[in-house]
Formats: sequence, C-alpha cells, structure tokens
Amino acid sequence: MEKENEIVEKLKDFLKESLLDTAIPRRRRIFVYIKREALGKAIEYLMKELKFTHLSTITGVDLGENIEVIYHLSREGAIMLSAKLAVSKKTPNVSTITGLIPGAVLYEREVHDLFGVDFRGHPDLSPLMLPEKWPEGVYPLRKEYQLKHLREVTSEK
Amino acid sequence: MSHGSIIKVPFGPQHPALKEPENFLLEVDGETVVDVKPRLGYNHRGMEKAFELKTYIQNIYLAERICGICSDAHTTCYTQAIEELLGVEPPPRARYIRVIIAELERIQSHTLWVGLAAHEIGFSTLFMYVWRDRETVLDMFEMISGNRIHYAMNTIGGVRRDIRGDIVSKIVKGLDFLEQRLEYYLDTVQTEQTILKRAAGVGILRPKDAVSLCAVGPTLRASGIRNDVRSDDPYVAYDEIPFNVVAHDGCDVLSRMLVRCEETLESIKIIRYALDSMPDGIIVVKVPKKIPRGEVVSRVEAPRGELIHYAKSNGTAKPERYKVRSPTLANIPALCKMLRGGYVADIPIVLAGIDPCFSCMDRMAFVDIRKNEKWVWTMQQLRRKYTKG
Repeated sequence: MEKENEIVEKLKDFLKESLLDTAIPRRRRIFVYIKREALGKAIEYLMKELKFTHLSTITGVDLGENIEVIYHLSREGAIMLSAKLAVSKKTPNVSTITGLIPGAVLYEREVHDLFGVDFRGHPDLSPLMLPEKWPEGVYPLRKEYQLKHLREVTSEK
Repeated sequence: MSHGSIIKVPFGPQHPALKEPENFLLEVDGETVVDVKPRLGYNHRGMEKAFELKTYIQNIYLAERICGICSDAHTTCYTQAIEELLGVEPPPRARYIRVIIAELERIQSHTLWVGLAAHEIGFSTLFMYVWRDRETVLDMFEMISGNRIHYAMNTIGGVRRDIRGDIVSKIVKGLDFLEQRLEYYLDTVQTEQTILKRAAGVGILRPKDAVSLCAVGPTLRASGIRNDVRSDDPYVAYDEIPFNVVAHDGCDVLSRMLVRCEETLESIKIIRYALDSMPDGIIVVKVPKKIPRGEVVSRVEAPRGELIHYAKSNGTAKPERYKVRSPTLANIPALCKMLRGGYVADIPIVLAGIDPCFSCMDRMAFVDIRKNEKWVWTMQQLRRKYTKG
C-alpha cells in the first residue's frame, strides 16, 4: 500500500483544500473526492506527474439532489484511481477533459446522454446511445425516471 | 489522391461487413476515408437500469447476458465485485476453475475472431478451418457446464460446477489438438500472402495514439504496449500462474492477428498449468443475500481487453448503481483513428481488427418494447406458442 499512500499524499499537497476526501479500500484501489472546479487541474497533475495516463471510463451516479461523476483512471495498467466530483441537478455541468485525454470523448457523451451532465467545451455532445427522436430532458439512468415512465416514452407515436 | 469533393457515406447499421448493427458516418474523398463519426446504441437493452431493479442473485444471470461471446468475463467481473463488497474470498479451487473457464473463453473468442478476420479479407478456407477447430472448445464447454455459450459457471462466492475426473483428461486431449492447429494457423498468418497483402501496414495505430485514445486489450498490445489486467492488476488466481503477456509492435491489423494467435497458445499453457496445480477442496462458500453499503471497482481482462465494472450498494438486496464498460467501447476512438486516412476497401478488416462486440457496448438505457402493440407478447404467450408445435 506504500505506492497508494504516496499517491494520495502527493495529491493532497497539490490540490490542498480542493481535495475533499480520500480512501484506499485495498491494494491498487484509490478513491478521491475533489471539487468540481479543480477537475482539469487534478487530471493534468495525475496524468503528467503521477502517470495516470489511461482513462478506463466515466461513471455517473444519481445521488438525489446531485449527480456524481466518477473518472476511473489507471496508472501503468495497475493502480485504479477513481476521482469523484458532484454536480447539482439544477446546473449539471463540468468542464470537458477531452483536451487532456482524447479517449474521454465517448465516455462524456455517454454520461451526457444518460444523466444529462453537460461537459463544457466537448466537441460534439450529440446523442450517442439514445435514439434521435428521444425527448429532450429525459435522462433514463436518473432515479426519477422509473421503468414505467421510460416505457411511456418509447411507446408514444 | 484528392478529388476535391468530400462525400458522406453511411456505413451501417445494416451492412454485410457488420455482424451486429452499428452506424459509422464516413466522409470519403475518392477512395480515402477522411473522417469517421460513430453512432452507437442500436443494441440498447437497458441493462444498467435493469441491474438496479433486480436482486444480486438475479443480476448474475443478467451479467452473463451482456455478451454472448465473453459471458464469463462479465460474470467474473460481477461476482468478484460483489464478493469484494461482502468481504468474501472464493475458495482456492474456485479461483482456479475461474481461470480455466476464462482462458477457454479466450481461445473460443480469439479463434472466432481469426475466422471472422479471414472471412473479411475473402480467405474463406481459413475461416472454415478455424471455425471447425473452434468446435473443440465449445464441446469442452458443453462437457463442463452443459452449455456451449452462457456457461453459467460463476456464482457469488465461487463456481457452480467442478472440473474433475474424466473431464480433465478430455480437456487435456482437446488442448493438445488445439495447440497443434493453432501453431499451424500462426504460421499461416505469418507466411500466407493472402493475409500479408491485406493486413500488413493496414489500420495503423501508433503507440502514442493508442495511449491517448485509451485503447485496451489486443488492440493496445498490437501497438507495442504491454498492458494486461491479468498481470497488472491480478484477479482470481492469475498471481499464482506464470504466463507471458504477448505484444507486437507492428501497430497494424497483422500485429493484431499475431497477438491474438499467440495469446491463444499462451492460454493453452495457462489451462494446463491450472489443471495440474489446482488445489483440492470446496468450490463455493455460502454468502448472505443482503450486501453491505459500499462501492467497488472491478476489472477483468476479457478477450477483447480491459473490462471494468463499478458497483455501488446501499445495504439492500438490490444495487444502487451498476456500471459496465466493455472493451469495445474503449476501442472505438482508436478504431476511428485507424480508419482515417485508410482506403474504403480496408474498412471491413480494420473494423474487424478491434474485434468489436456491439451488444456488449450498447448494454444500457431502457427496456424496449416493440412499438406496435399487437407484437408485444408476454413470456407465457411465447411459451405457449413455441411449445404447441
């Protein structure tokens, strides 16, 4: 767990109060909670200084009032660091990381489709997973959309 | 050569070169592909939403059905995620059985792919030979689990069937046959002009791009980057089994073929070792139905590359959130890069080069019902219809 602790310490020194919480549940797994504004800075530092060059995916989680966006990064294929931040459902936006990691392009579109998070500065947020005629403002993986609502949406017309 | 005008050509969702529905909007200038825009989602089944509505036990069967080809990779990833939430370790023998099934699946998937790749370049003889030999692995699955696909071997806390007695010697015999055949195919791939002319130097993905576009699996390893979840982030029993991570640095379709052929031979060695050194004992431990609160990131090296699941539990019998990212989705940006600047005629083989599995990729969103009401049949009606005749 030495490496994992070292990574967390370095991140604490760099992000200071922008780093809200950290956890190391087991070997090769790190969770960190960061402020939304610090995302670009954190990802750049993780990539360039700590060798977290691979983005495995981006996960959205409905927390009720907020939506949690989790960036799963890995270092030399081994240590997985999940960087989390929360955006409110009223203003669900966060800056894109496609400038730093071009491989994030589809993951951001996926979260945009299914959770309605707006990734500011993304080159193309057109629907990726949902049909063209999908009504605006219906985000199927948010908890307020239950199966029966989604069935209504698909059986219209 | 530039003809000065760019034409947009839709490729798919229905196209002879695609085995599953997906759409790529191509911008072509004469015979050269200038740009590619992927449009996914034709295989949406709403699985991530469905995970939240089913119990942890039901979800094993749902995870199995994310993909037909790498079904075991998904259940391994799912069960080990839930085991980690529970703090339960599967018994040692179960961990070895998981390795054996995973590697048999890799052989099955890679040989399927070699056949498809041969088919895409019009080399039908190789396609038929490889698929004939692939039957050997499917027969092994049938012998072990009763099913040729969807083996349903994993459960939370271990595996559902043992591998012992007669079955072991039959697997060993089958592996000897496969090894000899696969060595022959590896030689064919390296020497046969039909393959070299169509695969060498085609669909280039430079190592720098492979990293920045976050490619995974054989696609990444064929660009010279030796990343493999089995060795980097060992799960089940991979930390106890010696094996080589295969990589090639040709960055083209030929390298992707070589990586897969050599990986198959490596899988045979892994299975032999696992069968020899498998510890005795129980194969499953009993686990509670309710899963404590927590979150976990689970990874597996599926035949197509890194597979990652994220699970969040809320203390009930159903997950709060379950996320699946299959390797095909991770390789789509890299695929678009490979297609750009290439020839239209090379699209099918370059596309096949990442071994795409679209149903894996499109798993989420919502459960679809056919729009015309009279076509919505209940399970009972279906059962009645198909049992009458």
